[in-house]
Amino acid sequence: MTDQRLELTRIPLVKRILASRWLQWSLIAITLPVFLLAILTGFFGTPAGSRNFGIVFVWIVWWALLILVMLPFAGRLWCAVCPIPAPGEWLQRRALVQPRAGGRLYTLGWKWHRRLDNIWLQNAAFLAVALFSVVILTTPFVSALVLTLFALVALGTSLLFERRTFCRYLCPVGGFIGLYSQVAPIEVRVKDHALCATHKEKTCYVGSDAGYGCPWLIFPATLDRNTYCGMCTECLKTCPLDNVALYARTFGKDLLTHRGRRLDEAYKAFIMLTCALLYSIVLIGPWAILKETAYAVGSPAWWFYAIFFLAANLVIVPGIFLVCVVLGKSIGRIQGATRQLFVEYAYVLVPLGLAAWAAFSVSFVLINLSYTWQVLSDPFGWGWNLFGTANWQWSPYWAGGQAFLQIPILLVGLGAAIAVALRTAREQRASPRAALPIAAFCLAFTWVMVLLIF
Amino acid sequence: MKKEFFALTVVLFIFVIFPASLFGYQRWRTNVDPVRVIDLSANAPASGGWVPDTIRVNLGERVRLRISSPDVVHGFQVPALGISVDEILPGHVEQVEFTAMRAGRFPFACTRWCSADHWRMRGVIQVIDPANPNPAPQKSAPPLYQQLKIDIDAMHPAANVPSARPSAARGALLASTAAGDLRVGSPSDVFANLRADATLKSHSDSQLWDAVAFAWKHASGDAAIARGRELYARDCAACHGESGQGDGLVGRNLPGMAAMDSSMRRGPADFTDAAQMLGASDLLLQGKILRGGMGTGMPEWRTLYTDEEMWDAISFLRSFVFDYK
Repeated sequence: MTDQRLELTRIPLVKRILASRWLQWSLIAITLPVFLLAILTGFFGTPAGSRNFGIVFVWIVWWALLILVMLPFAGRLWCAVCPIPAPGEWLQRRALVQPRAGGRLYTLGWKWHRRLDNIWLQNAAFLAVALFSVVILTTPFVSALVLTLFALVALGTSLLFERRTFCRYLCPVGGFIGLYSQVAPIEVRVKDHALCATHKEKTCYVGSDAGYGCPWLIFPATLDRNTYCGMCTECLKTCPLDNVALYARTFGKDLLTHRGRRLDEAYKAFIMLTCALLYSIVLIGPWAILKETAYAVGSPAWWFYAIFFLAANLVIVPGIFLVCVVLGKSIGRIQGATRQLFVEYAYVLVPLGLAAWAAFSVSFVLINLSYTWQVLSDPFGWGWNLFGTANWQWSPYWAGGQAFLQIPILLVGLGAAIAVALRTAREQRASPRAALPIAAFCLAFTWVMVLLIF
Repeated sequence: MKKEFFALTVVLFIFVIFPASLFGYQRWRTNVDPVRVIDLSANAPASGGWVPDTIRVNLGERVRLRISSPDVVHGFQVPALGISVDEILPGHVEQVEFTAMRAGRFPFACTRWCSADHWRMRGVIQVIDPANPNPAPQKSAPPLYQQLKIDIDAMHPAANVPSARPSAARGALLASTAAGDLRVGSPSDVFANLRADATLKSHSDSQLWDAVAFAWKHASGDAAIARGRELYARDCAACHGESGQGDGLVGRNLPGMAAMDSSMRRGPADFTDAAQMLGASDLLLQGKILRGGMGTGMPEWRTLYTDEEMWDAISFLRSFVFDYK
């Protein structure tokens, strides 16, 4: 984890592409019809999930791309091309490609409440979706309903609030994308902070004739983590000093930065870790009764499941982790508040959680990916055969070889997590032994995941 | 402005022309090929069972069901429409076409023991007559066990039990003696009637039981017993056991009659228990199969079995206590 980075925007073609105002629009012009089709097939297509484009493309193809490719290698790239906030943003701008004079936005411009200037709402929204995920992931109509709700809330928020308030504070997916984007080997950053200080207009934040102020409400000069950078590249366009660039960097570089670490983000890490564990138990574990209970929304058994699900996310796993933190504090004789140490150590769970999600995703993505060919030819399940693949049989890919992917993924996640734990202990001026309880937590979690997956 | 106009055109195309072309294509297709395709996913009950579990089609509509399984081997049967797919292998798509020629609700079910909750894997094909989309529900006469007020939740032990398994073959010698309505009375009742007949005094109990066995076999017919054997193997054996002793793998954890009275037998009924089977009339057995056992784990079969199938199954059940060879 060294601080070496390579400025990709030195490559003229890359620079040209990123500076183009057509870039984001072009990519959204591809994702938008796919998103629209996912909603239409959910509402009007077959209720059989495995034959419905909406379910297969959103929860298998998109999910696989997000967890296995985009997040680990491109960070928040998805946020830049996500079609959900696009209509709202276009209405805000009253333009699709070209900027308005001075980067003006047409919105009521309400400010987000300061007390909500965190990701607690995103945590709650993700938990709500996660609690019903067994139903959402398998029922096209419900899935379409949820996607439509996201789009409507995003649209409403854009009309009322400034910039991408929905993405920054409400999107249930955006929260964990931001958290895990810290791992990615790519970043948008200013080149020279001193130069920024001399630039009085701050066009990267307020906008200019060349583009809009940061839609993510970030002042790029202070950007030191990927967490809230939507990679829309507006700042590359609005900086008149050519002082913003896209960099390739070492994996997980943001985890070396302590500034801005917060309890809401820490809890996001717990929620993601716990959900990966619970999904592995409920969705791919051998206990049919659990899956059945998760399906039976509203039944007495489901209420027990819901209470346990929430308790595990919010109390049990953070509680166990807290015990480890307190033990580590005692072993290392670390001074300072336990709460802050708890938050610091929670970032250990970023690589661990991402690895767990990747390993979990490998198991169901490889098994279900072959449904893609059927739904490409027959998205609604109406008997179409557009590309001649509608009747291709389902067949799991590389069924015997999943472990060869999953074990290395989990081990890399474990190794990175322990490295972050050791570094955190060092920064507390404690011996490496102080990180032992945290390392044991990570090891135990990985071991349980291995047992569940195989 | 030209650039914005182009971008706006593309976005309008995405929001208007693209969806319109999808639905337009489907409309055109429907005119060219009027077969309506419906995907039916056969999931193990723990994963949601049939999806969808209600299929609505119009009277006279040609329908192609594309049935697939994402987990284990399932079967598919709509008894009332005569549709059956014996095996739906995971990953394969089985297609079956039918034209719904009469309106009504037609239950369908899985015919493979896909899981412990297999019997819950059911659904309904609802055939709607557009001219009469909401017909008044048809009232059918209650089953005989209800008309005769037979308490199917109570035990009906036989007053008389043979010392050995009665033989239908031996009983043929006394063919003319067995009489009475074999569906209303239990074998024990029929035996009691024979025993009370002074003209049969010279015959032993064993001989009279053989006559009763013969009477039941004769009334059923070999074909019905053979069909009943197939139904039993498909739908009953997993719980009640191949031998009929209530020791099937799937039924091990079912509460059985103990759900109603803890002093009663736990688990599926034992069809080799002569005291119970000979005390039960065919009507009583029919009632249990029709309605199922409240809380016992016994599913209801009224919606899936025809009357004939019901009696065939009961005919076969008698073979566990009567020797039909």
